[in-house]
Amino acid sequence: MNTIPSRTAAPGTPTLRPTLHLDRLGSVIAGLIGLALFLSPFVTYRANRIVSGEGRLLVDALPPAGALGTIVVVLGVALCAVLARRPLIRLAAASMGLGVIFPAVGFSAGFVTPAGNTFARVSPAIGFWLLALAFALIAADALTRLRFGPWGRLVALGIAAGGLALLLLSGAWNDLSLMKEYANRAESFWREARQHLWLAFGSMAAACLVGLPLGLAGHRIPALRNAILQGLGVVQTIPSIALFGILIAPLGYLAANVPLAAALGIRGIGAAPAFIALFLYSLLPVVANTMAGLGQVPADVIEAARGMGLSRRQRLFQVELPLALPVILAGIRIVLVQNLGLATIAALIGGGGLGTFVFQGIGQSAIDLVLLGALPTVALSFAAAIILDAIIDLTQRGAHD
Amino acid sequence: MIEIEHLSKRYGDNIVVDDVSFTVGEGEIAVVVGTSGAGKSTLLRMINRLVTPNEGRVLIDGQDTATIPEDELRHRIGYVIQGYGLFPHRTVAENIATVPRLLGWDRRRIAARVEELLDLFQLDPGEFAQKFPHQLSGGQQQRVGVARALAAKPALLLMDEPFGSLDPVIRGKAQDDLLAIQRRLGTTIVLVTHDMNEAFHLGDRIAVMDGARLLQYATPADLLTHPAEPFVEQLVGTAERPFRLLSLVTVQDAMEPGHAEGEPIIVSATLRDALAQLIWHGRQDLPVADASGTLIGRISVDGILKRGRSLA
Repeated sequence: MNTIPSRTAAPGTPTLRPTLHLDRLGSVIAGLIGLALFLSPFVTYRANRIVSGEGRLLVDALPPAGALGTIVVVLGVALCAVLARRPLIRLAAASMGLGVIFPAVGFSAGFVTPAGNTFARVSPAIGFWLLALAFALIAADALTRLRFGPWGRLVALGIAAGGLALLLLSGAWNDLSLMKEYANRAESFWREARQHLWLAFGSMAAACLVGLPLGLAGHRIPALRNAILQGLGVVQTIPSIALFGILIAPLGYLAANVPLAAALGIRGIGAAPAFIALFLYSLLPVVANTMAGLGQVPADVIEAARGMGLSRRQRLFQVELPLALPVILAGIRIVLVQNLGLATIAALIGGGGLGTFVFQGIGQSAIDLVLLGALPTVALSFAAAIILDAIIDLTQRGAHD
Repeated sequence: MIEIEHLSKRYGDNIVVDDVSFTVGEGEIAVVVGTSGAGKSTLLRMINRLVTPNEGRVLIDGQDTATIPEDELRHRIGYVIQGYGLFPHRTVAENIATVPRLLGWDRRRIAARVEELLDLFQLDPGEFAQKFPHQLSGGQQQRVGVARALAAKPALLLMDEPFGSLDPVIRGKAQDDLLAIQRRLGTTIVLVTHDMNEAFHLGDRIAVMDGARLLQYATPADLLTHPAEPFVEQLVGTAERPFRLLSLVTVQDAMEPGHAEGEPIIVSATLRDALAQLIWHGRQDLPVADASGTLIGRISVDGILKRGRSLA
């Protein structure tokens, strides 16, 4: 993309006319930025938390100097997106854009809310989200072009997380409706967040504990292989809500008739069926990838290992598992990202988790409460995907230079 | 010394190896040749018990291999296969250290052994020790494969088509290198191939297999001059026979007293090479020199041709 203008100039015929280089993706994004900046509301103002609100353009959402400064920076980023070639510059520009609009929207909340009014709510509106999306696209594109190694990507994630933590801890967003929802429920937020992580990671760990041996068995005994995969395939086709429903009857029976089960907190509804459902969904990716990973270990490598006198156990732990690990981890990555999202549904049957806020918010038509549940879920999945991708890269020893 | 006694292997009704017996002397290279499906690899894999024989036994230095625990037996026998089976997630040094590590050698001893082997196979330890297999050329991978098999100083080395995936130019060099190393270490080798040239180049004795049976086990010269069955004769290649025979004999054996004009031929050259020189230079005879360059006799076309005739 970058080299098109220089290629269109005939070789060997130097031209005095400077060629203007336009980045195609950047131009589209710049258009998006223009749309967001001048035609879309930056924040939404509502008289209280559930009435419908009115949009405010950026120029009306900030004091004149702040608005001007923000517009200059945002336009600067757009210009970089169109003209800058070096990915590092584009990344710096996008980061600066994000670093300006995030505090700006928090500041805007304080500016738009009439003094002393505790009922009024201000939320980021479509303009803000479009700007955030545009900058994120530029940053993602630049990061792709920079081709960071696994450690580089982890550091980038760490910086992004640090920036976000700084923003939230500094109180810059405290006037936003989202943070007001949080402030009213800080205690239950962290409780549900812990529950969410417990559901997602706990069911993943259980799936690994069961799935790895199951995958190994399927790999070693061909007759088992199809039976296991088909059985788990059937589970995978059951919609999550239906699976919760199916689990209510047997677990309810268990709770009513086995005192130990009841003592362990197993009920027809609540966390137990949610945990079991997530566990069941997790099994297929773990088992299938374990089989696929072990299956792709080259036959001559195993033959050589046998011929050198590695025992069955030594072959498994020193040769087969290390070589299958990247594929197995890819399965675990699928499971983790899937579970972090699916755990939201657990709230429907009283299983808790961040979904609690999503469904409360929908019930109260309070969109910011929905976001209080949804945004951390998205952030968690995103971070989990990046971290596991990096780990997968790090385990592919000998596959890269 | 390894003694193979009445080895047989059946899969259902299918006989893969049928009552094969032969003995390989200490420090010898025995090459098993035959068409594909003749049972060569199965025979080889019964020696380190990757395949369990239905009948018969293998003795190594008089000890029945069936009495040694499988893994322990394999630690004592080097094994090289066609694709080498290098561990892709381990460096060259770690690959070579595999068996010594299983045997619990201490780290310093392992490091010294790895360095020694890399030197022996003309791979600079500084450059190659930390490389991964995918960073090596085919020839380098092959050398690492053999080095790994020799790491724990086995008295016996089993090789299954070890040069099969090398191109012809590198293959010749790799065969010469193996011969040189084998002469130096005195390792007994059983090597499986379907390449007759390789068999004649490397083998002290050649075992010809066909249809699960051992047809003949003899020195290369015997195989040429006294083929036991028509199949052996055919496999050896009737058109190639005289040249193969000449390549087994050195100038020493056909040298005559006297003088000749021209560029001298070294006494350790094969008659095949000497004949090639004579034809190329258009001469009936050439002088023969010893290693120090002193002329010690002459070699003639007639003298060589006599040697290329069947003794039968």
